[in-house]
Amino acid sequence: MKAIISTDLIRGHTGTIILNVLRQGDSYGYEIYKKIIELSGNQYELKEATLYSAFRRLEQDGYIVSYWGDETQGGRRKYYRITAKGREFYEQTKKDWDFAKDILDKLIKGGLG
Amino acid sequence: MSKIKNHLDKKIWAYIDKLFSGVGATQQLFELKEELAVNIREKTADYRARGMDEEQALKEAIISMGDLSGLVDDMRQLGQDTAKQAVYSTMTARISTAGIVAGALLILFGVFVTAMQYLMGSSGVEVTGSAIFIVAGGALLTYSVLTRETSKRYAMNKIRAALYGISTGMLLFGFFTAAVTHFAVEEPFVPVASLMVFFLPGFGLLLFLLLTETGRRKQV
Repeated sequence: MKAIISTDLIRGHTGTIILNVLRQGDSYGYEIYKKIIELSGNQYELKEATLYSAFRRLEQDGYIVSYWGDETQGGRRKYYRITAKGREFYEQTKKDWDFAKDILDKLIKGGLG
Repeated sequence: MSKIKNHLDKKIWAYIDKLFSGVGATQQLFELKEELAVNIREKTADYRARGMDEEQALKEAIISMGDLSGLVDDMRQLGQDTAKQAVYSTMTARISTAGIVAGALLILFGVFVTAMQYLMGSSGVEVTGSAIFIVAGGALLTYSVLTRETSKRYAMNKIRAALYGISTGMLLFGFFTAAVTHFAVEEPFVPVASLMVFFLPGFGLLLFLLLTETGRRKQV
C-alpha cells in the first residue's frame, strides 16, 4: 500500500475522516485504522500514530467520547463514539469541503481567459 | 487486563514501557498504553495470519504504527501539568466518593437496625435479617473504593471493581444467609450449607481476581 497523498494535504482532514467512520457506528483504534484503509479502497493508510493524536484532540473538543469495552480475554479495547456536537461538526465540515473542493479545482487547474 | 501474559504480550509491553519511559504517570498515559498494546497485539495477529512468524509480525506491526513521538510528547506535557489531571479525574472521583459515603451509611444503617431489633427483643430471624443492609453496603463500598484514583494508585477499571464488589457481596451474603437460616431452620446443617452456596463462589471469584491483579501503583 502506498501513501500517495502528501501529509500536508490530508492533515486538516484527519478528524473529519475519523468522524465519518464513527458516525457509522462506535469503533476502537485498530478497527478505525482498518476501516479507513477500506474507505480509501486500499489506497491510503492513516498511521496509528496520527490516529491516536487525533482521537485525543477530538475528545478534547467534545466531538467524540470514549469508553472501555468489556473484553475479558487479553486487553480491553477503548471504543469511541461520536457526540451530537461531533455530528454537527462533521456535517458543517462536509459542506465546507464541497465548497472548497470546487474552488481548489478551479484554482489549481483553471486557465485564464 | 489479565496478568497471565504470554511471551508476545511481554514483548509488546516491554516496547511500550520503553517508548514512554520517563514520562510522568497520569491516568491518560495508563490508558493510552493499554490502548496501544491492544492495537499492536491485534495487528501482530493479522500479520501472523498472513504467514509471518511472530517475531517479524511484531516488528512490522510496530514499524507500521508510524512515528509515535508526538504522542509521547503529548503525554509528557500532560504528566507535568497536574492541574489537567485534576480536571480529568474529578468526575470519576465524585462518583466514587458518593459510592463510599452511601456504602458506609448503608453499613452503619444495617448495624443500627440490627442493634435496634436485638434490643427490642425481636426474633433471631428479624435481628439477622436487618443485616442485609450491611451486605449491600459492603459490596458498594468495595466497588467505590477500588474505582477511586489516589495519589498512589490508579483507579481500577469498572468491570473489575464490580467483580470485586460482587465477590464481597457474596461472601457477606453467605454469612448473612447462614445467620438467618440458623434462626429460621431447625436442622443444624442448613446454615452451613447455605453459607457454602454463596461463600464458595464468592471466595473463588475473589481468589481469581487477586491472582490476576496487575499493578496499579503509580511510578514516582
